[in-house]
Amino acid sequence: MGALMGQPARARVAGFELALDRRYQPETHMWVLPSGPARARIGMDPLGIETSGTLAQLSFVPIGTELTAGSPFGQLEAAKFVGPLISPVSGAVLAVNDAVVRDPGLAERDPYGAGWMIEAGVTEAGVTQARRTDDSRGDVTGARAGLLADPAEISAWFAAKVADYRLKGVIAQ
Amino acid sequence: MAEPLSPEAGALRPVAGALPPEVGALRPEVGALRVVDFGLSSPLRSQTLWHAIGFGVSAGAPTTLSFTRPAAPYVCLGYHGALDDVDQEYCRAHGLPVLRRMVGGGTVYLDADQVFFQICLPAQAVPPVRWRALRMLLEPAVTAFRAVGVPAALDDDLEICVGHRKVCGHGAGQIEEAVVVCGNLIQRFDHERAARVLALPGPAQREQTLALMRRFVAATPVDPAAFQAAMVSAYAAALGLRAVPGQLNPVERRTVADLDDKFSSEAWLAGPARPLPAAGTDRPARRVKVRAGVWTLASEHDGAQVTASVVRGTVDRVRLRAGGSDWPARQAELAEQAVTGIPWGSVADVLADFGEPGRRLAAAFAAAGPGAL
Repeated sequence: MGALMGQPARARVAGFELALDRRYQPETHMWVLPSGPARARIGMDPLGIETSGTLAQLSFVPIGTELTAGSPFGQLEAAKFVGPLISPVSGAVLAVNDAVVRDPGLAERDPYGAGWMIEAGVTEAGVTQARRTDDSRGDVTGARAGLLADPAEISAWFAAKVADYRLKGVIAQ
Repeated sequence: MAEPLSPEAGALRPVAGALPPEVGALRPEVGALRVVDFGLSSPLRSQTLWHAIGFGVSAGAPTTLSFTRPAAPYVCLGYHGALDDVDQEYCRAHGLPVLRRMVGGGTVYLDADQVFFQICLPAQAVPPVRWRALRMLLEPAVTAFRAVGVPAALDDDLEICVGHRKVCGHGAGQIEEAVVVCGNLIQRFDHERAARVLALPGPAQREQTLALMRRFVAATPVDPAAFQAAMVSAYAAALGLRAVPGQLNPVERRTVADLDDKFSSEAWLAGPARPLPAAGTDRPARRVKVRAGVWTLASEHDGAQVTASVVRGTVDRVRLRAGGSDWPARQAELAEQAVTGIPWGSVADVLADFGEPGRRLAAAFAAAGPGAL
C-alpha cells in the first residue's frame, strides 16, 4: 500500500465527496489510509456515515488490541442503535482518535480527515492478502470482504452504491 | 454469579391469547417466531435473559419475541452511558442495582410497573440502514399499543408517543449477528425517582428535569396480558412468521450464566473507555435527554452558570447566574426573561445586550450545545 504524496485526491461522486487516495472496504464503508511505516488510519466513508444516522456516540477497543479483518474495533451509536465498527484489516490498534470520541460529529463533518477513528499496525502484505481473498467478487455494489484500491473501481462502486440506496429510498435524492 | 437459572426459566408462561389461532395458521410453511415470556425476573436477569437470546439468535436460534418484568427496581445504563451520570450513592442507599446493557439509549429507572419486550432477529433480516430497521421493528409495537386502546404513533424521531408524550422507551443494538430492539410497556411511571437517580450538578436541573419528565413521559396503564397478546400478533404478522411458544435453548442457558458474570463485573459496569476532557476546556456540560428534542442542561463558563430546559430547539426555562461579578439580581431576571422562549441559536445575540456577564453566559450556553440539542 504505497503512501500518496501531495494533495489528497478527491472527487465528487453522486453528490458525495469521495477521497481516492485510500482503500475501501465496500461492505462496511470503511476506508484505510497509510499514515506511516506499517501503520494505517481507518475511518468511515460519508455514505456509511449517512446511512448510520446522526452519530451520538463512538467507542473504540483499547490501544494494543489485536484486530483481525472482520472483527469489531469499536461501537457506533446512532438513533439509540449500537452497532459494531468492523475492521477492514488485521493488526494491532496503535492509536485511537479521542477527538472523534468526544465529538462524533467530526466523523460527519470531516470523514476523511479529523474524523478518522483508529490507527492500526498493518502491513502491505496484510492488506494485499485481504484483497486476494476477494478475487471471486461479483458486481461492484456487492457485499464482500476485501479492499478496493483502484480509483476507477472505487468510484464505480461508490456511484453504484449511492444509486442503489437512492433507488431503495435509503438516502435522499 | 450465584443466581441459579431455574429449570423453567425461559419456558413460555401463560399469556392470555398470546398465540391467536389465526397467527400463522394459514401459512404453515412460514418460519417460526419463538415467543418467550420470562415473567418476573431479578434486575440482573431482566437484562441477561434477553441478551442471551441475542447471542442465541446470532448462532441460529429463531427470531424471538420475549417479555419480562423486573421484580425489583433498578437503574440501567445504555451501552455508552456514563456511570458518573448516575447518583450511585443514592442508588446504594436505596438498594437500587445499577446495570449496563449492550444496546443503546439513555440511563433509565426501571421497576415492576414496566413490562419489557424484546424482538430479536438475524441482522441480515433487517435493513442495513438503522432508522429503517428501527421503524420496521417498532411499528408492530405501535400496532399492539393501538390494539389495546392506546392511540400511539411512531413519530419522526422513531419514538412511540401519544401526542407529545413518549409512552415507550426503546433501545437497539447488534449482538454479534443478531439485531435486538427492546422497549417497555409503562403501566405506571415514577417520575420523581427517575429524576432522582441521576447525578446532577444541582437542584435546579433536577427540578427542571422532573418537570419535563412529567410533561413528556407518560404511562399507559393497560392490561399487560392483553398487550403481550397484541404484541405477539403484531410481530408475527409484520414478520410473516408463525408464533410458537418457546424457551431458551441449552446454549442460551449457558450464555445467561456467562452474562450474569459479565454484567455483574466492575469492568463492564464502567463502560467503554472515554477520553479525558481536552486541556483548557470548560467542565463538560451535564445534559439530560428526556425524550427526543427535550433536554435539560447545566453548563458553566468562567464562573457563569446556565441551567436550562430546551424543548424542540427553544429555551423553555432558564436559570442564569453570572458569578464572580456584581451583576444585580434584577439583571439576571431580565436576562432570563429575554432568553426564555427564544430559539437556541439566538441566545448569544440576546445575551450580547447584557454586557460582559451576558457574554460569559452565552459562552456557557455554547459549551452545552448545540450538537445533540
